[in-house]
Amino acid sequence: MSTLGEVRIRVPGSVARGSVARARALLIHPNERVERKDGKAVDRNYRFVNRVVVSYAGQTISEFETSTSIGENPSFGFAFRASEPGALKVTFFDTHGGRFEAAVEVKVA
Amino acid sequence: MPKLSVTRRALLAGAAAAGLVPAWRARDVAAQGTLASLPPEEPVDRTMQRLFGSRPIRDGATLINLELPLIAEDGGNVAMTVEVKSPMTRESYVKAIYVLSDRNPRPLNAKFNLTPASGQAYVATSLRLADTGDVRAVAEMQDGALFMVKRSVRVVVAGCAI
Repeated sequence: MSTLGEVRIRVPGSVARGSVARARALLIHPNERVERKDGKAVDRNYRFVNRVVVSYAGQTISEFETSTSIGENPSFGFAFRASEPGALKVTFFDTHGGRFEAAVEVKVA
Repeated sequence: MPKLSVTRRALLAGAAAAGLVPAWRARDVAAQGTLASLPPEEPVDRTMQRLFGSRPIRDGATLINLELPLIAEDGGNVAMTVEVKSPMTRESYVKAIYVLSDRNPRPLNAKFNLTPASGQAYVATSLRLADTGDVRAVAEMQDGALFMVKRSVRVVVAGCAI
């Protein structure tokens, strides 16, 4: 069963040193959309992911600013240069103070 | 001397973290998902104006590969990939990729900030699209140059309000 906050990261089995690899990170999260009543947006504290930070070997390599217009269970594909062996870490932040994170070791051959 | 600018929100968040304000107040500070925290509802032209002002935007057809389905059965989950053909070196790289949906009440879907360590200007995600129309990707280079491409997507079931 999937629970809110679960993060999954998919990376290639092994990466040649110095080459560029692609990864995908998924968060189980409703990423709420804005409700409408009589055509007007309802103002309340929606729970959605507003920031995603990707780091590799301790260095931030990219950062995504997101909103309600990304699908439920947001997933992001991105690239990174495997300059050295290290952990690929992805952190999702949501509007309710949630911080969801996972890391995988990248095998650099 | 640089001017110090401390917003009320940052101050409260800091105070909450330091345990200076009660927990209920801290929760209030964390509440950031209100309509005011989202980009305003506006036509896409106004969003473009807000993001890029009067900076020239060049045609990115030869540079940007924006992949989207021609027909999206479910507007709530439309797979998208963007790839910009550009070196990713310290001297020359793609600084940011913006994705906007022309027919969404709040057109900016996401902004992807990249660095040379990204190795490749590639991002993928799933979008919510409110209606049939254009989706555009804008690439901002490290020197500020802007390039744009558009793709039209037919949405069968709308991604709702968004």
